[in-house]
Amino acid sequence: MSERRIKSIFIVTGSIFLFLFIITPIFWMMLISFSKNISFLTGGTYQFSFSNYITILTSKSLHMMDYLKNSLIVASITSPIVLIISSFSAYAITRINFAGRRIIPLLVLSISIFPQISIVGYLYRWMGNFGWINSYVALVLPYLAWTSPLALWILLSYFSQIPKELDSAALIDGAKRPKILFRIILPLATPGVLSGLLLVFIACFNEFLFALMLTSDYRAQTISVGISLFQGLHGEIPWGELMAASFFVTFPLILLTLVFQRFIIEGLTTGAIKE
Amino acid sequence: MKKTAILVRNVKKIFSTAKGRVLALDRINLEIKPGELFIILGPSGCGKSTLLNIIAGLEEPTEGEIFFGDKVVFSDKKHLSLEPFERDVAMVFQSYALYPHMTVYQNMAFPLKNLKYKKKKIREQVIKIAQMLRIETLLERKPAELSGGQRQRVAIGRALVRTPQVLLMDEPLSNLDAQLRAEMRVELKVLIKDLGITTIYVTHDQTEAMTLGDRIAILKEGVLQQTGSPDELFYCPKNTFVAGFIGTPSMNFLSAEIIKSIKKPNITIGIRPQDIEIRPPNKGIINAFVKLVEKIGDKYLVHVDYRKQKIIIETSNFSKEKEVSLFWPKEKMHFFDKNGERIESVEIRFSFV
Repeated sequence: MSERRIKSIFIVTGSIFLFLFIITPIFWMMLISFSKNISFLTGGTYQFSFSNYITILTSKSLHMMDYLKNSLIVASITSPIVLIISSFSAYAITRINFAGRRIIPLLVLSISIFPQISIVGYLYRWMGNFGWINSYVALVLPYLAWTSPLALWILLSYFSQIPKELDSAALIDGAKRPKILFRIILPLATPGVLSGLLLVFIACFNEFLFALMLTSDYRAQTISVGISLFQGLHGEIPWGELMAASFFVTFPLILLTLVFQRFIIEGLTTGAIKE
Repeated sequence: MKKTAILVRNVKKIFSTAKGRVLALDRINLEIKPGELFIILGPSGCGKSTLLNIIAGLEEPTEGEIFFGDKVVFSDKKHLSLEPFERDVAMVFQSYALYPHMTVYQNMAFPLKNLKYKKKKIREQVIKIAQMLRIETLLERKPAELSGGQRQRVAIGRALVRTPQVLLMDEPLSNLDAQLRAEMRVELKVLIKDLGITTIYVTHDQTEAMTLGDRIAILKEGVLQQTGSPDELFYCPKNTFVAGFIGTPSMNFLSAEIIKSIKKPNITIGIRPQDIEIRPPNKGIINAFVKLVEKIGDKYLVHVDYRKQKIIIETSNFSKEKEVSLFWPKEKMHFFDKNGERIESVEIRFSFV
């Protein structure tokens, strides 16, 4: 067997394994969510049904749609703001010579290394003092800080690949710095901006701990907290509904990711290899 | 008419790097006349691009003053530094630096838009310059769809579109192939002279400098070596660096010492390859052995050895002798002292060592 053949066998086997590893839980989740009851797990027959989905979408007491709305609002407010802030920072760090330009990205990164649990207590007191508990502000503000490092580092790798001579040319052509950022740098970094937007959006959408601590009911609680509250509502754990809700909210993210995957992969790997 | 277009006075640039402070430019003084095509020439890393960026306003010198006409554009004492657009300069970059996401038209219109020109006026001006550069059929294309030569024209067009006071060019031809470079060189010279724009042109290519320039400044390791017309640099180089840098093949250098003097100081004698004549053995000034003969078109480059020193002779006829004698007219010799500085002396008696 040629070396190339062995290599391709390894790659294919590896890919299949990885695929199964990732897809199995999702498939399991889907299977349970479409079952009439979960007795098939203990030897009963599998019955296909939409009943779990109908329950979660129609039952008012579950507030499924409220949670979803809250998540979408919080994520959609946070992600563009984060991208605007990080664009300015990434531009300054890659283009302007000032003291500490090398240390700032590392400091920002170190903030994201902090365990969330270590700051959530303080955040709770802080938000309480402002009377913001159980509001969108209580989530948007921490999310801004928590997701900025992600967006900043993605944009840094993009911006640093855009030749500095373009900035020089634009300065000579009479453009001011903000114009250079918006008319030249950002259009050229579109894939980075899009993947940054998407990753920040997903991070906010999936965030659990802050949302759990800083919100208290369906008026501000996000979907990740909402789903976790399903259990214990009726004494027994409603596995079918839980899985239906989880799959229901995962599906749009999967779709979004599939649409943007080209950008995401580009966004996460640029800077790794010099062309 | 004003006498100077650009005056650079005592400009010094120190870069602070992780390894320490690097002196990039040391007390540079330049005086550039209106409408002049002025060349800054030097090997890579000599600080010529830094000097250009400083004149453009993209970098600030550590010390010194720069005037555009009577206007101060930089002064360390007055803490004054004008932005590039306030200096009314245009620049052509080595990499062209075209905006990749914009069409040729948008690229050329960009400087005018920033000046808040009316749409109609922008259109007229862009088309006028595009016709001049023969790129009017490319206006709707993106830079990626253009050849190297076309990109070069667009970059020049973008610089000329707002008729700047000063045009700066940073090795604009070095990314083109040899033939295109020679063509563009001629075209560029005609264009700049027609427009009468004061131009500073940075290059490491001495042929380019000699053919294009009204005057040339030679820079080495941040120090200005000599400023003068191409002829002055060629016929009267101030030191061995200039002498060796200008002219192809390079000037030959032979060590010698002055006789009839107690100290017998060492000197260097320079003779250009074109000024040496090959004669039969013992009929010239020195005898030497032929090492190698290169034929370039109708010319020969004869490499000879003289007391372990290499000499190159450019000649149009050579038959394969092994041993030759070299002759040159007295007045074709250049004398340099042991520090490499030119010695102006009518009569120097010397012997080769």
